[in-house]
Amino acid sequence: MAFLKEIKTNDQHIHKLAGIVGSARSILYKKEDLLAYDCDGFTIHKHLPRAVVFPKNTEEVAAVVKYCHENDLPFLARGAGTGLSGGAIPLNNEIIISMVKMKRLLRVDLENRRAVVEPGFVNLKLTNSISERGYYYAPDPSSQYCCTIGGNVAENAGGAHCLKYGVTTNHILGLEVVLPNGEIIEIGKDGVADEPGYDLLGLLTGSEGTLGIVTKITVRILKNPEGKQTVLAYFDNVADGSQAVSDIISSGIVPAALEMMDKTAIEGVEAAAFPVGHPKDIEAVLLIEVDGITAGIDEQIEQILTVCRSRNVREVKVARDEAERGRWWANRKTGFGAMGAISPDYLVQDGVIPRSKLPEVLARINQISEESGLRIANIFHAGDGNLHPLVLFDARVPGETEKALEAGSLCLKVCADVGGTITGEHGVGIEKREEMRFVFTEEEIAAQTDVREVFNPKNLLNAGKLFPSPGRCVEIKKEMKASAAL
Amino acid sequence: MSLRELDLKQEPSCSSGSLSNYLAKDHPDETKWADCVHCGMCLESCPTYEITGQEQHSPRGRVHLIKSVAEGRLNVNEFFADPVFACLDCRACTTACPADVDVGGLIEEARGQVRQAMPLTGWQGAVSNMFLKGIFPKQNRLNTLGSMLKFYQKSGVQSVVRKTKLINIMPKHLVEMEAIMPEIKEPVRKRYKNEKVIKAKGESKREVALLTGCIMDVMFSDINEATINVLTRNGNDVVIPQNQTCCGALHVHAGDRDTGRMLAKQNMDAFRDAEKVVVNAAGCGCMMKEYAELFHDDPEMREEAEKFAEKVEDISKHLHDTGYEKPKAELKTRITYHDACHLAHGQNIRQEPRNILLDIPGVEMVHMPNSDRCCGSAGIYNITNPEMAGAVLESKMENVPDDVEMISMGNPGCMLQMAMGVEKYGRSQKIVHTVQLLDWAYQKEDGKGEN
Repeated sequence: MAFLKEIKTNDQHIHKLAGIVGSARSILYKKEDLLAYDCDGFTIHKHLPRAVVFPKNTEEVAAVVKYCHENDLPFLARGAGTGLSGGAIPLNNEIIISMVKMKRLLRVDLENRRAVVEPGFVNLKLTNSISERGYYYAPDPSSQYCCTIGGNVAENAGGAHCLKYGVTTNHILGLEVVLPNGEIIEIGKDGVADEPGYDLLGLLTGSEGTLGIVTKITVRILKNPEGKQTVLAYFDNVADGSQAVSDIISSGIVPAALEMMDKTAIEGVEAAAFPVGHPKDIEAVLLIEVDGITAGIDEQIEQILTVCRSRNVREVKVARDEAERGRWWANRKTGFGAMGAISPDYLVQDGVIPRSKLPEVLARINQISEESGLRIANIFHAGDGNLHPLVLFDARVPGETEKALEAGSLCLKVCADVGGTITGEHGVGIEKREEMRFVFTEEEIAAQTDVREVFNPKNLLNAGKLFPSPGRCVEIKKEMKASAAL
Repeated sequence: MSLRELDLKQEPSCSSGSLSNYLAKDHPDETKWADCVHCGMCLESCPTYEITGQEQHSPRGRVHLIKSVAEGRLNVNEFFADPVFACLDCRACTTACPADVDVGGLIEEARGQVRQAMPLTGWQGAVSNMFLKGIFPKQNRLNTLGSMLKFYQKSGVQSVVRKTKLINIMPKHLVEMEAIMPEIKEPVRKRYKNEKVIKAKGESKREVALLTGCIMDVMFSDINEATINVLTRNGNDVVIPQNQTCCGALHVHAGDRDTGRMLAKQNMDAFRDAEKVVVNAAGCGCMMKEYAELFHDDPEMREEAEKFAEKVEDISKHLHDTGYEKPKAELKTRITYHDACHLAHGQNIRQEPRNILLDIPGVEMVHMPNSDRCCGSAGIYNITNPEMAGAVLESKMENVPDDVEMISMGNPGCMLQMAMGVEKYGRSQKIVHTVQLLDWAYQKEDGKGEN
């Protein structure tokens, strides 16, 4: 281990960890390097990690975890760091275990329609690797160009096409997991969709990196749809647009995707790198995609056009070719990053509401915007009621960050109040911990942290995420439990 | 400073006014990083992130560090310099970025800060000074260097050096470069010294000025010759202003922005009378279109530079926009096309060169996957960061189709690097500039061609 001489720090843990991952290049510990890891896609909280390690295989991950477990060092896993709720931010000066070096596509089994990937494998690369053979991987978060499937599992990521095809959890067939004590387990039987016993796959998927670290993932892959058509519709008022959404769904069509953007969001995407020429003065644009067997698609499209017209659409058009369709989607999928073109910072929220409540919710969000003095853009997976209010602010202006956080929280309150919930696909992370109280009682939260304790009893793995710090009554109950056990 | 203290130092720089650790003039432009919301869409576009997997070597990571210095969370030191200088400045992130963040501009500004705060010393400083200040901007010295290289090749010294293994005293990456050194010919600036205007063949439709470039004219004067042939054949009178100089890209990439500004001024002056400045090197064209960046603290010069930028045009775009004669002779060759970063990402020129190539009868174009991925040349990056450049080159060569005879492109730096790739990985492809292929087709049509 001659390379250990290159490690210039007095922190003995760093030397030990370097020894586990086997090279000086597989560990970062200098302040200048660590700063690049002080946040993920959620930039409001920044904390430096103690180190970042880059394991190459499951055994190295397990050895790092075991070392942290034995030495009581907080740690967490990180993929591409595109998460929007702060799940990969080292709140407790954690050792970050970066999974990006584990990025192989291990196996493609077309016959049984599944693929096995390492957690650092980028989402879109899976589809790119199998598309020529006529297959694809359905969950398509907007960050799919760069986010990793491991991160998708942690957050139970969604995406534009989840309306018809479901979110990540509906596409996971098996996981290899390193538990917080370093033990390696496998859940899900190779190729068997549903095992008897508790649905541990369902529990692990979306656990936001608090129950274990995924090191191998078996996913379902789908046959490319035979046909596909995409429609763009412009509305002069939001109520008409949202009514059109409801009408489309209630007519019995299940679109592959049904997206909406409001005026401020349109301003953002049009000012950014992938404009498509949306009119500046419209209030809402719908992006609707239908796919499946070719027979019947034209009919569905005709039905959608009729619905839009009956709801006073200003203009509605069908994509002429794949290139046009691609431009429309690039414009939509880069929508969050595009906000940089009209604002130095943004905070994205992730509420879910019953579709019918959309006009009401948008009006209330508008009111929040006016009261806070901050602009709020809305990008919306309208089909499944998943709303993304983007609060625009400037962190350099004293007090604005706090204002933005408060406005975001109020938006979630509105969603919860109309019978919805506080996250559809971005996760709770750091950002929405307190808002968990909008939808769960203290007891319900405590029941969930009890589950965490089964997997992660020392709470060294990604502590401080997903749940609010315990309220008074829960603490008392725990104390009571503890004293009863004595 | 402890980690905890660092965590606390998060108040924005405007609240106290003087937190910034950029102490020299011409500091990185705050409005550039204000566009970045840290979304991460740039990650997969970045060759150095692909290789290292480390975020300080990713576009958003670098922007984050550059911003952190301005916020007083970091100092300009060697550890900051490392990620900032490991960037290839390939601009692929600019293409990927939803918010059009000018990462390349920020990197160049940050390099300026690093070089002002900690000038290169020792042999690195000496070599860098010799090339950047002593040779590239001085045409006569470049020509002398060219003559020396020509002597080295023609006199037999090259073959003696190679045969006696004397060459092994050089570092490995320089040996690899020596192996692919093109045959040195007479620079066109020297050849056409006494011709005020090189007249169009046939009817003259317009006059254009040609940037002959520093390295281009010494190492690849035949490409300059081909450029002149192609231009004059298509109705362009060509002038070669004799007081023009190196575009300054290598200097700006290396953080020597003062010399960059000096060269920019000289070129803007040299091409003052030109209506159009045609450039056949992507890196130079991109630099000249961005001169305004160098003068962001000087509104007057900035405006002049912006006007100048409008005159600058890559040869392929110029031919595409003004029209060119489609050659009639057949070349019968299978080729592939590599997008030079500073054409594709820097100037958004992708289709024009491909159209030119496809207009040549008998040219069959094979698609190169990831054709707009950097080859690792990146100015003098392959000399300063040989290891990373080698890794980038390796992944580039994996994408070069097996069954092609030539790889065409529009930048001399890429040509040298790709030639090195062909040599190193035992491939057989000939490396050509897009205008060379067009010129050969014309020559064949005229019964002069070798192909």
